[in-house]
Amino acid sequence: MSRNAFAWYMQRITGALLVPLLIAHFWVEHFMSATLMRGDLTYDVILSRISNPWWQAIDISFLLIALYHGLNGLYGIILDFGKVGPRAATATLVLLFGVGVAWAIWGITAFHNL
Amino acid sequence: MIPPRVLIKTYLSPLIGMTAYFMQRVTGLLLLFYLLLHVHTVHEISGGPLAFNHAMDAFKNPLFRLLEIGLLGIVILHALNGIRIMVIDFGVATRHQKRLFWGLAVVIGALIFIAGALPLFMHSVWER
Repeated sequence: MSRNAFAWYMQRITGALLVPLLIAHFWVEHFMSATLMRGDLTYDVILSRISNPWWQAIDISFLLIALYHGLNGLYGIILDFGKVGPRAATATLVLLFGVGVAWAIWGITAFHNL
Repeated sequence: MIPPRVLIKTYLSPLIGMTAYFMQRVTGLLLLFYLLLHVHTVHEISGGPLAFNHAMDAFKNPLFRLLEIGLLGIVILHALNGIRIMVIDFGVATRHQKRLFWGLAVVIGALIFIAGALPLFMHSVWER
């Protein structure tokens, strides 16, 4: 499978994974919790949820999948302009991968502050 | 006088696939930008109860509420049109891709949007 075919498949697989993750995320953060609905959300409410290792695993997976999907989409958009040759495409991929790793570390460390 | 049905079929319909394609890219870029803001926000609120409340006060601003509701709309459009793309890629209903755009992304999307935006809007405007 070529690199671009792989990117194409992965975009669909991660997209399909993001739909249930996103619905769950929206539901949990905005509608499920009674404290949230009343608007008196506190630090402790978030802390108690995020200290659960299952929620950490779900949220970190969500972050990584979303990051991959978003940056892979950006890579596709850059290629779609048609001005990028094979070597520039590889350079773009390496650059976006670096951005993704930095972004993922930045996101995961946000949890560890909690 | 050309009937509106014919006008839509001739002039508007060929643009739907292209509009959906373009819209998917624009909303995707906006969502990627939002993810940047979102990770920044999580860093802000994780600084302790004081920092958390400070950030929460800022989010109660009507502008943030409006942006939040806008985000909901963008997410729904991107997700539903993404499902439409996957359905078409499977080779199912390729001949109905335009109707799928209207039915799934626009009509069902609008219904989910209203169902989601109303509670957000209500408890931000009336319960304050």
